[in-house]
Amino acid sequence: MSVAPIGHRIGRWLVSGPPLLYLVVFFAAPTLIMVLASFRTPGEFGGLAPLIDESGKLDLNVEAYTRFLTEPIYFEIFLKSVWYALVTTLICLLLAYPLAVLIAKSPKKYRDLLLLLVILPFWSNFLIRIYAWMIILGPNAALARAVNSVLGWWGAEPVPLLFSSFAVLVCLVYVHLPFMVLPLYANLEKHDQALLDAAQDLGANAWHRFWRITFPLSLPGVYAGAALVFIPALGIFAIPDILGGPNDSLIGNLIKQQFLETRDWPFGSVLSIVLTLAALALAGFAAWVGRRNGGFGGPERA
Amino acid sequence: MKKTTAAFAAVLALALTAAPASAADQLHLYNWNNYIAPETIKRFEQQCKCEVVQTYYSDNEELLAKLAAGAKGYDILVPTSNAVQALIRGGQLKPIDKAQLPNLKNIDPTYLNTPFDPGNQYSVPYAMSTTIIGYNDEKMKELGLPTDTWAVIFDPKYLEKVKGRVTVLDSSSELFAAALKYLGYSANDTDPKHWDEATALIKKAKPYWAAFNASSYIKELTVGNIWLVHGYSNDIFQANLDAQAAGRKFHILQGMPKEGAVLALDNMVIHKSAPRPDLSLKFMNFMLEGKNSAELTNLIGSGNPNKDALQYIKPEIKTLPAVFPPKELQGKLEQLKDLTVAQRRLRNKQWTEIKASR
Repeated sequence: MSVAPIGHRIGRWLVSGPPLLYLVVFFAAPTLIMVLASFRTPGEFGGLAPLIDESGKLDLNVEAYTRFLTEPIYFEIFLKSVWYALVTTLICLLLAYPLAVLIAKSPKKYRDLLLLLVILPFWSNFLIRIYAWMIILGPNAALARAVNSVLGWWGAEPVPLLFSSFAVLVCLVYVHLPFMVLPLYANLEKHDQALLDAAQDLGANAWHRFWRITFPLSLPGVYAGAALVFIPALGIFAIPDILGGPNDSLIGNLIKQQFLETRDWPFGSVLSIVLTLAALALAGFAAWVGRRNGGFGGPERA
Repeated sequence: MKKTTAAFAAVLALALTAAPASAADQLHLYNWNNYIAPETIKRFEQQCKCEVVQTYYSDNEELLAKLAAGAKGYDILVPTSNAVQALIRGGQLKPIDKAQLPNLKNIDPTYLNTPFDPGNQYSVPYAMSTTIIGYNDEKMKELGLPTDTWAVIFDPKYLEKVKGRVTVLDSSSELFAAALKYLGYSANDTDPKHWDEATALIKKAKPYWAAFNASSYIKELTVGNIWLVHGYSNDIFQANLDAQAAGRKFHILQGMPKEGAVLALDNMVIHKSAPRPDLSLKFMNFMLEGKNSAELTNLIGSGNPNKDALQYIKPEIKTLPAVFPPKELQGKLEQLKDLTVAQRRLRNKQWTEIKASR
């Protein structure tokens, strides 16, 4: 099959062309523009200084990169963002897994309804949902009062829930949970019940059946969900802006600052590139681990 | 069924006939949110037989970023003075033909011919605000805290009584300005040593603050979650209106710090690629009329540089020192100047350190 029939080849282009074009126009080109911007000088009054300066020389430099590498504070914030995103991903996984199993095991006629309920929050605006959390977590709301009265029995100082790392994490988890549930469900739903029956016949208890069969089979779903949660959670800025306390500035906020307050597009581009590289590295890592663990015979592989 | 079809056809016909008429004469106003009274817009639309299309921005940086990225189609913008300067240097504005603005004579000369736009070649004053202290009168009285000094925002001696009930603006320029003023320097001081002092001051006060917040402190003041803020005079005025409308027992009052504060003068300018410079000038002259200008002040409690507007302004607003600063205070109010690239980078580094510090 070294030479495919012409029709076949055209068909292949028709199928792969539009997504490829989409990637070139909306991913490759903007990324290249960003890379170019990262080597330029910020304009005195915003934007970028001309590429060719007054003396006719090409004005390209690595100043923004040196700044990122020599001032540890920026890297610290980056690490902190990675930490928040990791914790978010883990909590999402712990919460989403039982839910996805429950939906996958429920009778067929309820599944669509349950899935609909999972994506229902998307029907209202993202920002409105964050603002709703301000009310839920506010100091005069029932939740904060309940928590603080329990703390009061223990003789502890009352804690604010709103404007805290806790609020940021709760909302990060809340916003990203559906992105973990959906791929997990898609995977779990395809599992073959016969495998579990066979294991039970051979004497495996419920825990063994889960740990030796269901969980390994569901790993591709776990990786997909983890990537879908981790990557957006890493770059988010609205949640820490609105719900965060004085210490909750993340890399997304830092990038936003460069383009708005500081008007330093080159440095903003450097930070964005670091973020993109981290996301790509993670996606690559997930794909690699997924392929290595393919030995378990995940349903995706069939 | 027939009825609904007929109604639908009527609506469609109306939409079709209405559309071309309005498309012909439109003024695109790119403005701060809630920064013009609806009745003012209506009156202008009747007078010019045109339609005013408003879009909004929430800070100068957003406006500058959008225009620097090449946004077009706006006629009038309402940036603060330092942003006007940035827009002039960036070649983004169209000079104004002042012969078309007879009402410019209404503006208090104090606010004309500033270093930001010498001779007002590009801009005319629109409205003002100050960045001050806002507080819950009941709580401050209860705790015995002063409300006329930045010390209450920066000094741990006072802050420990209101820990977790204070917010400051999430804006490096505003917060540094307040800190520099408290330290006795100019809000526009650019000596790196003084910036270090300000950074240290902010870091020491930060553990007592609930948040850096520019978006929801009005609401938090109104519901009584936050008792003390570093915020804009208009917002604090709004918070009190909301608190009274909600029947709260407390008031949200404005505190003008004795050390001085930032004055933000917003100006009308015409974008270089404005589709309708003719309508823009008509709009400017209209807004320079005292009555029209006063409507904004009465709505949101903004300061007013228009002498002719004073007679139309509600007496309870005219006596607010943060809105109409008395003569002895005017010298202590400063408009923020734009920073250079190097200064902005240093400021950002210090700001990031402040944000990351524990």
